[in-house]
Amino acid sequence: MPFIEMRGITKVYPNGVMANHQVNFEVEAGEIHALVGENGAGKTTLMKILYGMERPNAGEIRIRGVPVQIRSPFDAIRLGIGMVHQNLMLIPEFTVAENILLGVEPHRWGLWDRSATLQTVRSLAERYGLSIDPEARVADLPVGVRQRVEIIKVLHRGVDLIILDEPTALLTPQETQELFRTIRELVKQGKTVILITHKLREVKAISDRITVMRHGRIVGTLPTAEASEEELAAWMIGRRALPTLKRPPARRGPCILRVENLSYIDEGGRAILREVSFEVHSGEILGIAGVEGNGQSELVEILAGLRQPTAGEIWLDGERLPAGTPRRIRSMGIAHIPEDRLRNGVALPLSIAENLIADRYFEAPFSRSGWLNPGAIRRYAEDLIRAFDIRAPDPEVPAEALSGGNLQRVILARELSRRPRLLLAAQPTRGLDVGATEAVHHFLWEQRSNGAAVLLVSADLSELISLSDRLAVMHDGEIVAIFPEPQRLSEEEIGLYMLGLRRQPLEREEGS
Amino acid sequence: MTNETMAPQQAEAFRTQTVRRHQIWTVVTRTLTTMAMALGMGFVITALVSPRPLQAYTALLTGPLSSPARIGIWMEDATGLILLGLAFTLVFQARQFSLLAEGQLHLGALVAGIVALHLPLPIGLHLGMALLAAMAAGFLYGLIPGALKAYLGASELVASLMLNVIAQRFYELLLTYWLRPPGAGYNWTDPFPATAILWRPIPDVRINIGLPIALMATALVWLLIYRSSFGYELRVVGANPEFARYVGIPLRRVILLGIAVSGIPAGLAGAYLAMGVHHRLILNISLGLGFEGIVVALLARNNPAFVPLAAFAYSYLRIGGDIMERTAAVGSDLVRLIQAVIILFLTAEALFEQLSHWIARRRHLHVGS
Repeated sequence: MPFIEMRGITKVYPNGVMANHQVNFEVEAGEIHALVGENGAGKTTLMKILYGMERPNAGEIRIRGVPVQIRSPFDAIRLGIGMVHQNLMLIPEFTVAENILLGVEPHRWGLWDRSATLQTVRSLAERYGLSIDPEARVADLPVGVRQRVEIIKVLHRGVDLIILDEPTALLTPQETQELFRTIRELVKQGKTVILITHKLREVKAISDRITVMRHGRIVGTLPTAEASEEELAAWMIGRRALPTLKRPPARRGPCILRVENLSYIDEGGRAILREVSFEVHSGEILGIAGVEGNGQSELVEILAGLRQPTAGEIWLDGERLPAGTPRRIRSMGIAHIPEDRLRNGVALPLSIAENLIADRYFEAPFSRSGWLNPGAIRRYAEDLIRAFDIRAPDPEVPAEALSGGNLQRVILARELSRRPRLLLAAQPTRGLDVGATEAVHHFLWEQRSNGAAVLLVSADLSELISLSDRLAVMHDGEIVAIFPEPQRLSEEEIGLYMLGLRRQPLEREEGS
Repeated sequence: MTNETMAPQQAEAFRTQTVRRHQIWTVVTRTLTTMAMALGMGFVITALVSPRPLQAYTALLTGPLSSPARIGIWMEDATGLILLGLAFTLVFQARQFSLLAEGQLHLGALVAGIVALHLPLPIGLHLGMALLAAMAAGFLYGLIPGALKAYLGASELVASLMLNVIAQRFYELLLTYWLRPPGAGYNWTDPFPATAILWRPIPDVRINIGLPIALMATALVWLLIYRSSFGYELRVVGANPEFARYVGIPLRRVILLGIAVSGIPAGLAGAYLAMGVHHRLILNISLGLGFEGIVVALLARNNPAFVPLAAFAYSYLRIGGDIMERTAAVGSDLVRLIQAVIILFLTAEALFEQLSHWIARRRHLHVGS
């Protein structure tokens, strides 16, 4: 009898996204079970259902054969299920011990018993062979150690099953090795571990069995020993039919953007970009494929002037791009469709017109000597609303009244109406329906026909294959391949590069 | 990935129009409901503490209108509140929580007093110079917490509260050791010369030309916020600072200037208290009036066009409370209580707004893996 059994789990979010569809999932006691799949495959949703954070629309959960109702994480913990989230949930100002015993502090005479707290944490850490200083402040600890704190916290609640959601996403290779030692120790002591990840190499290294998910469904479960990485990659990425899009012929012009040995190290000291070099020419779309979190977002933000690179050079039209403010970068002819439109693509409380002029309000005719010209702004907004088919009755309507597709049209209208020399498009169709997606593709091609250089980052491989003139693949902050004719590639093949299983030899042909 | 459906043209148009109509209606009905509920609550409390609640409450509600002199007192009080309300609508546009108005008010009064007493100038020029100097003082003082926030990331809330104390003590220091007539046994200056006093056109009524000045300031602040590119920057930063950074708006400069510019009406309010109300500098010139501007800005939904209305309403309650206290022997505590109830209702309402905002945003957000 399996330890955990999930049967026929279906979860539809209120916005209509089907995150899980008739999922059957089993975990045996004492195993390390890897749950793998692309972003958006439904792994985290399934585990949130098991942990009581989401309620399924249909399906049942059994623990050791007994049907259970898990309505909240409290229920889950009571049933012996604990979860360590990708974004660690610790209070940085508190010490390690305070965090671990938060909510279940030992008391003596009605007062918090500090020495008992420390004692409890020390004995727990010792039992599982986890080295930790219970009196250190969490804010002072590196991510790997914080994660250890989370694991001890879950263990202290007395759980038998620990779910780890993308535990290695923020870790250095050394920290990852340390984590794997911990996981093995936990299993030795009778615990069961579910590992959510999309890194196949790690899956091979640590797990006993693997379950692959794709588009909210289970593709299959198999023992790790019998799985090849190539096979897993094919299962994860699937065999999707390429949509037949009519490609306008490319008229490749001179080089617009040249990036040379660009490196970026984040605040936490992790290398996000490692000596990235590439070119984008006028009249060409360079697609960038990669599993999310491999440096694509940071690359785009650096080119848009929102981050400063650690090293390397960026050339635009043969001119070296200075370390500048976003306004300066924009004035040089770089437009940017941001990957999270609600975070920084729009100001929701402001009107459509005010959103459309956000990067040019200081220029004539929108303002003269510091004073806005409402008539000119309104006329301009009306023109753009018409040209980009934004469905709104009036430019004065606040942006928050628009649907996602229309918001994206507002952003496109603002970014494309300046005829940029270089367009940075990050996840431009994310969350859009078919019609809006097609409109975005149309606009990107129009830019390409107009001679702009387009850098397209997308999580959607079929979109990349059909739109790109050349396709670069990023893995772990490096460009591991650049393909001149992506249409001749299969998604499985690209997947091997995305997952870091293959890379082109270093002397690749540039500018072909 | 989400697969939201794009609404057809009509549905979208209908939706957006409803949003707009909804906005105007909520502002009007909510403000009226807030006031009515607060007043009703006030009556319940009055009934509990006063032997003649009806008489006491009548004094509160009609007192400020019962004589021309009282109307004058009301207008005089409201004028100061208008200027302070404007100060807060400015700084709140950019979502900066600087509460420096109290300190800027003290420095404005101080500088206006120095010009009034020690800089002999011809009529007209004297008045203008004193007002200008007060505005400049408010602006310059605002540069300190503005720079601390913009360039060092220091909390403008904490910095402004501490700078308030510094400004107030500095005011008291100069008043008691320098501006007060030597050897005087009291803590106020000589009266200002007639050239540095805001004129009262009606004898025995305290209303003065500060009121039209405050109304003009209202128009200017409205223009600044809604018709100038600086005001646009303030609003973008307040609406979404990440977006402001992304489109290249100079975030630090906007924050710095936003906090400083709000000092202009606050400094003017200080000059108004000195030149329009007291006609001299006195020790406790503000009595926390600088903080009352927050209530006015909240009541006016941060829109300068509504500030005079909000200031008159709030001031009416303040003056009515004074009259009730004197004629019906109800403690000023009760009035404070009613005021507190209003603020409570307002913040609870802001919570409502936040909530519906948050829900709307949730609807837009797509769900990850």
